[in-house]
Amino acid sequence: MARTRRFLNGAAKDAFLRQVLAAEPGLDEATRERLALALQSSIALISLRHRSSSELSVGTPDTAAATHEPDAQNAAGNTPPATATECEPFDPYSPNVIVVFRTLGRDAALAELHAIEDVECLRLLAREQRLGIASDLADAADIRHAIVAAAERRIANRRAAAS
Amino acid sequence: MARFLAIANRKGGVGKSTIAVMLAHASAAWGKKRVLLVDLDTQCNASLMLIGGERWDKARRAGRTISDYFFDRFDKVAEDESHYVAANVGDVAHPRASPGRVSLLPGSLMLEDVQGELYLKQAKRGSNPDKVAQDVRNRMMRLIKHFGHDFDYVILDCPPGLSFAALAAIDLADQVVVPFRPDYVSQFALDRVALLIERVETADQLAAVPFVDRRYICLPNYVTGKGRERLLIDEIALDHPLLQSRVPLLDSVARAFDWEESKKTMAEKYGDALPHLRALHDEVFGAATWLAKAG
Repeated sequence: MARTRRFLNGAAKDAFLRQVLAAEPGLDEATRERLALALQSSIALISLRHRSSSELSVGTPDTAAATHEPDAQNAAGNTPPATATECEPFDPYSPNVIVVFRTLGRDAALAELHAIEDVECLRLLAREQRLGIASDLADAADIRHAIVAAAERRIANRRAAAS
Repeated sequence: MARFLAIANRKGGVGKSTIAVMLAHASAAWGKKRVLLVDLDTQCNASLMLIGGERWDKARRAGRTISDYFFDRFDKVAEDESHYVAANVGDVAHPRASPGRVSLLPGSLMLEDVQGELYLKQAKRGSNPDKVAQDVRNRMMRLIKHFGHDFDYVILDCPPGLSFAALAAIDLADQVVVPFRPDYVSQFALDRVALLIERVETADQLAAVPFVDRRYICLPNYVTGKGRERLLIDEIALDHPLLQSRVPLLDSVARAFDWEESKKTMAEKYGDALPHLRALHDEVFGAATWLAKAG
């Protein structure tokens, strides 16, 4: 899949940072660990220019899904119950739609969701990220738009409650 | 003069007392500091964790709690502050040669009632309710500040909600640690307490205050490592400064608060939570950290 830009967050972002640091021969283990923790804490989102082979290995869902367990008890709204099994390997916590929306805007959030083609995976992401979408949506494009709209509502909701 | 560290969040059940007691033990044991924990929460959990039920009961019967202190001082009863302080508390052993000790100004079930009475007393002197409330709050703040002379750190374990005591503690604090559970509703609680601490009214005004200038820092507590928690923590990090430390949901943390008569080492008390506590201590009290730079 040729792409010009890819966003990493959550476990994929952390794994990517660790992989980059691991490739630096001049760093001792303690320094590498300290830098990894500092970078993981400070960086919410990484925007890659292109997908390198190394990024593919850390950014694809295998690694991330292993560290993220979808919580089936917390289904959001009326989203049908997609399961992790149906979408494996898939990390429903990446991209963090709210964070991408707030840091890079609506179009970036939508663009990021375009990387997910499977309808059930989109539903799982919506459920796990508590972005309620209508159950009758069947088209991936519609679901992506609904997810972004739900993110926008949630941001507005929080903002309204904050002041 | 001591540095004042408030542990606060308007939301209950986020682990304020747990964190307050852990930091008090850690600072005394590892930082060799003289620490006073002021229990402002009417649940008195921090007091029970540090002196157990019987000694706390004796303290309240003897009129040596936070509410007695406020009440006496408002009535200008001239007891020395030390009269109200329980010294060398907690069940962690400290070497005799070390100055590090934890002391406690015990909490009181009556603090909310006492605050009401103090308000009424103050109201007799003035008619503007807002000013009366502010006067009570300021007076409480000054009274708590008196304890700063004998300690290196005063840790203020705040109650949930917005009592006069909680507001006074937040006003007084050099820095505020805001523990939170990484769940959906916690975001709202953090947003609100941040407005209060920074003394602003809107999210836009808060956003205009750079993270490095903020008087508070948030601490993810009861962390299990689930993906949804990470989403929320990443989201919260857009609006609020976060400690790098995370306090995981561990049995050893919960068990650590079964107060016992016999003293033990930090390792014995905190078990596998010890490295997490060490990281938290170093981050909060370390020489180059935000609290050290405060004030």
